Amino acid sequence: MLGITPVRELGQARTRWRARSGTVRLDRVLVAKDIEKAYGDVVALRGTDLSVAAGEVVALLGRNGAGKSTLLSIIAGLRPPDAGSVEIHGIDALADPVAASQHLGIAPQDTGVYRVLTVRENLEFFGELAGLKATRSARAEAVAEQLGLTDLLDRKASALSGGEVRRLHTGCALVHAPELLMLDEPTVGADVATRNQLIEAVRALAADGAAVIYTTHYLPEVTQLGADIVIIDDGRILARGTQAELEADHAISGLAVEVTADFDRARLDTFRPVDLGGGRLRLDGAATMAGVLEAAGDQTSSILSVERLQADLESVFLAVTGRQLDDETEVVA
Amino acid sequence: MSTALAITKLQLRILRRDPAFLVIMFGMPLVIMPILRQTVGLSLAAEGLEGANGAELAVPGQSVVFGFFVAGSVGFSVFREHGWKTWDRLRTSAASPISLLAGFAIPWIIIHVLYQVVLLAVGGLLFGLSFDVSIVADLAVIVSFSFAAIAIMLFSVASFRTVNQHQAIVNLGAMVMGGLGGALVPLEQLPGWAQAVAPITPTYWVMQGHRAVFLEDGGLADVATSVAVLCAFGLFFAGFGARRFRSDETKEFFA
Repeated sequence: MLGITPVRELGQARTRWRARSGTVRLDRVLVAKDIEKAYGDVVALRGTDLSVAAGEVVALLGRNGAGKSTLLSIIAGLRPPDAGSVEIHGIDALADPVAASQHLGIAPQDTGVYRVLTVRENLEFFGELAGLKATRSARAEAVAEQLGLTDLLDRKASALSGGEVRRLHTGCALVHAPELLMLDEPTVGADVATRNQLIEAVRALAADGAAVIYTTHYLPEVTQLGADIVIIDDGRILARGTQAELEADHAISGLAVEVTADFDRARLDTFRPVDLGGGRLRLDGAATMAGVLEAAGDQTSSILSVERLQADLESVFLAVTGRQLDDETEVVA
Repeated sequence: MSTALAITKLQLRILRRDPAFLVIMFGMPLVIMPILRQTVGLSLAAEGLEGANGAELAVPGQSVVFGFFVAGSVGFSVFREHGWKTWDRLRTSAASPISLLAGFAIPWIIIHVLYQVVLLAVGGLLFGLSFDVSIVADLAVIVSFSFAAIAIMLFSVASFRTVNQHQAIVNLGAMVMGGLGGALVPLEQLPGWAQAVAPITPTYWVMQGHRAVFLEDGGLADVATSVAVLCAFGLFFAGFGARRFRSDETKEFFA
């Protein structure tokens, strides 16, 4: 067991790394500019910009197919953009991806660990691959402690539970204390305890100066992380800010109305209805219960429910994109 | 090269955890060698080599045939990384594409050389192969064959999308090229057309090298042509493989 806290150990490792590479801490760890990418006729990114500062956790919110994964994979060097630039820690990641990758840690959505190896061997291998030598054993133990894997260090990954594998998968990305950490849905399939452990680990990393991009399906995680939220849709960044800022600027006040299929929706045009799917309509801030009933006229029996919309991330997303934030929606922070 | 070394050590560690493949690849040729030795011995006697007992070609022949199966593991290892979802993790590490390839090739070249040496030693001791020959010359043949075989398999990895396609190349290398090159039965026993095309296979050259050492008491100068041709095979396939290799290409481990 190390005589220092895991957070402190991460900081020391990162300081050592900087000393070895002769670089200095940069405010903007990631600067991606004007990224464009198309797959045949399908345009995935349209001049997308994204920057992340040291110590910042950024949540990128977008529907499936919005361009999140493409943006992440371009930043990670897994696929080239058609146009644009990516700088990681001041290094042109497109011109020198190997140098840039030394400052990057990524845990892809699909868990990728060596199941025939132990937890310790997995962590040490990825540390060695990132250039750690004498410190990799200590780093493996520190990361294991941070993610609650200390008692499992000498257990084969094949004998771990799903949540434990997920934690190991994440640990392999942060064992070298990268300046930029990208976690793609790290809590999928994880129990509550694992989820809280991972979120705490991310917060600790950010507090220590790491820039973090984090994706999740669970919006409460974004709140828990205190992340800066970036909303992406159709390959464009549409909004960015803290949750409070976005709610102040974009949150929708108004009503959500559930109607039957035969309801004449034109009767509610005054309230600029937006189809939320499933027979639900969002009405603008001018809508009141009495006003809706009056507009419905002889079809009031076709109104199944009326509820006041809360100012939350879901309504922010709806206001910014004009689309429903449903279960399929992912959050990238 | 530190990243290549890390991947090399990883490959060796994974193999150590599950050595069953190598154990089987070691045991099977030892079963086949005595079966073929008598036939090969009769063939050599018909050539006028009265002192030969057949082990001179049956033992190295099996090391060549099964050596192709062992060499195929380098490709299997790469495809397996795709199946384990670890390939992209390797790609986003500080390893360059060349370091990635080297990390997979180096351990399997080492294993391939050791495999042939041990198999020749054990097979030789069991079945009467004389080692009163130029060991250095035969080592040169072995090492150059390992280089060629691993290069062919890396070319296969670079060229094919599924592990099944790669496996077909492994089988082709082992059985077809083994047969044509004189590793299964002496070249003299093959039909004329097969003898004519044999020199286009690397197995022909590795068997010519072993033959020069074990049957003709040859030294380094006598195996120089074989070694040169095998190295040329290796350079050709390594060069084209490296050129074709795209680390971002999707590979299917199970197809």
